[in-house]
Amino acid sequence: MDSKNALLQVKDLRTYFHTEDGIVKAVDGVTFDVYSGETLGIVGESGCGKSVTSLSVMRLLDEKGEIAGGKIIFEGRDVMAIPESQMMKIRGNDMAMIFQEPMTALNPVFTVGFQIMEAILLHQDVNKEQARTMAIDMLRKVGIPEPEKRVDEYPHELSGGMRQRAMIAMALSCNPKLLFADEPTTALDVTIQAQILELMKSLQEQYGMALVMITHDLGVIAEMAQRVVVMYAGKVVEYAEVLTLFKKPRHPYTWGLMNAIPKLDEDKEVLYNIPGVVPDPLDFPDGCRFNTRCPLATDKCRKEEPPLVEVEENHTSACWYVDKLVEMIKVSRAGEGA
Amino acid sequence: MPLILIGVTLIIFSMIWALGPDRLLASYIKSPEALKTPDAAERLIKKYGLDEPMPVQYLKWLGNILQGDFGYSMVGKKGVLPAMLERFPYTLELTIYAIIPVILVAIWLGVVSAVHQNKFIDQFIRVFALVGWSLPDFVFGLLLLLVFYSLLGWFPPGMVNTQFDLIMRSAEWNKITSMPTIDALLNGRFDIFVDALRHLILPVMTLAYLWWAYLLRITRSSMLEVLRKDYIRTARAKGVPENIVIQKHAKKNAMIPVLTVAGGSVIGLLGGTVFVETIFSRVGMGRFLADAATLLDYWSIIGGALFFSFIMIVGNLVVDVSYALVDPRIRLE
Ligand SMILES: Nc1ncnc2c1ncn2[C@@H]1O[C@H](COP(=O)(O)OP(=O)(O)OP(=O)(O)O)[C@@H](O)[C@H]1O
Ligand SMILES: [Mg+2]
Repeated sequence: MDSKNALLQVKDLRTYFHTEDGIVKAVDGVTFDVYSGETLGIVGESGCGKSVTSLSVMRLLDEKGEIAGGKIIFEGRDVMAIPESQMMKIRGNDMAMIFQEPMTALNPVFTVGFQIMEAILLHQDVNKEQARTMAIDMLRKVGIPEPEKRVDEYPHELSGGMRQRAMIAMALSCNPKLLFADEPTTALDVTIQAQILELMKSLQEQYGMALVMITHDLGVIAEMAQRVVVMYAGKVVEYAEVLTLFKKPRHPYTWGLMNAIPKLDEDKEVLYNIPGVVPDPLDFPDGCRFNTRCPLATDKCRKEEPPLVEVEENHTSACWYVDKLVEMIKVSRAGEGA
Repeated sequence: MPLILIGVTLIIFSMIWALGPDRLLASYIKSPEALKTPDAAERLIKKYGLDEPMPVQYLKWLGNILQGDFGYSMVGKKGVLPAMLERFPYTLELTIYAIIPVILVAIWLGVVSAVHQNKFIDQFIRVFALVGWSLPDFVFGLLLLLVFYSLLGWFPPGMVNTQFDLIMRSAEWNKITSMPTIDALLNGRFDIFVDALRHLILPVMTLAYLWWAYLLRITRSSMLEVLRKDYIRTARAKGVPENIVIQKHAKKNAMIPVLTVAGGSVIGLLGGTVFVETIFSRVGMGRFLADAATLLDYWSIIGGALFFSFIMIVGNLVVDVSYALVDPRIRLE
């Protein structure tokens, strides 16, 4: 794909937080493109910088956060150069966002209807009555029963799943071109999760928007995404199309994540869990940031940082030992009898 | 609510009862003549039913209260209730003037302070609040009196100038609310209004400072907490302009804890009138109570206690209702 046609281009993004303990390099060199109508998955464990990446694109960082480097191009415009007064018109209208916690992401003192209408009234040239009708329509579209009644209810009167649907209704009310869904189903139970994902898929088809699906769950990625960015410790470690990624993972971290998915049809629930934890962003290890947890790590990994290189067309990885990994995967899959 | 009232009257009555028949008798007697005969004391105790069992006396007393008979006030030289009603408008006026700046300015500055956290303006406001919070209010009142009255002579104590006082006591003066500033306006006497206001400034400042500082601190911390909430980010993500995010989305949530404290501060302010009216030689309920205490004027003290309790109960009720108005998660049954 030609990145010139991309709806959103993120190039070598670096987002740092200036905290009392020092500089937190939450995002430290992230590159990806998003095309109209597609779903890009961003996957990684907690604390990898997934949320900070999307907040950077929407320019919603708090005052400690700073975009220290890189470029963000949305519809050909340099997002970092857009004045705040115009950015306000883009947010909610061209780019929207859904958050992880439906319990806390809606304002408890305003009705659901008010919160949806507010977005509509901000960005569209309609009066209150029309906005209300549109809000009710939106609630119906996201599958909320009795939308005429629900529109006047407060968030606490809705269940978690209903609240997330209301969030989606709010985000889609202005027909955005790009939607960030930041772990939209993590806080919900499994059956509701499936329903919400299904809903997002069908709405995406209807509206033709681009979706950036942020998750730590490769299952969600498999379900939703066409292309995948794997993040680790503020960096992209692997990028591929979804089938390629599952068939031919070329980074030990991706491989680790894949094995961490519980496979219900097997006796052993988890074959190989990644040992250890994500390193502290105040104090990343030298060399490859995954070296503290990688089964393949050598002295070279502890000294030199591997660059993100193409391992085949449309597939990049940042690992010194892709060959060794391929070997390991072969052995492991043969052992499984797959 | 009725239960609370019964509880309060019971507590207050047990204080009366604890005084014992002899001391209570003293408050019924207007001259030593009455006790001339040897068995007079016992006869009078019988007459007023002071030796009856507590429940009987309580019901009798309650009956009197309900009929508006609070006993005789030595301080007011008339019935306790009329004496209090005469003084209450002055205290009400003082409190209203103190509450408005407390609530409006404290909330406004608290929000400003939180939005500009750790910037110069925030530090500046916080220092002011800290001083108000740490300085005992009577010390602050005396300092004000020293500077603005003794040294500068700008703001005198008292209620109004003597010449205006005479006008206000004269027959052609329409007593409508009995609050000097408001009546002055209603009587079309702008000069009296200004003068009454001049007399109000120092007591209002004294009364307000502590609670202003307190409310400001609560507003600031509540606001800081709310500004970190996810729904604030949601509002920004929809493209809501920052000032609306703060004034509407954040403030309405931040007001929930502030409300309780605001209710408490009204009550605290009323309590503060006791010393403020004394320091600034003003007439009012607070001063009435202070005088009653020095004279051991039981019925006035009891009347005042009842009166303040009643206001407190009403105040708390107002807080509860406004809670439900702000926070949809709380619904009145
Ligand atoms: N406002 C902030 N101030 C300081 N550090 C921050 C801030 N926001 C995020 N960070 C740090 O940046 C790192 C990345 O955070 P981020 O929220 O992007 O992770 P994530 O990948 O979204 O994880 P999760 O799956 O838990 O949502 C974390 O180490 C976090 O502590
Ligand atoms: Mg996150």
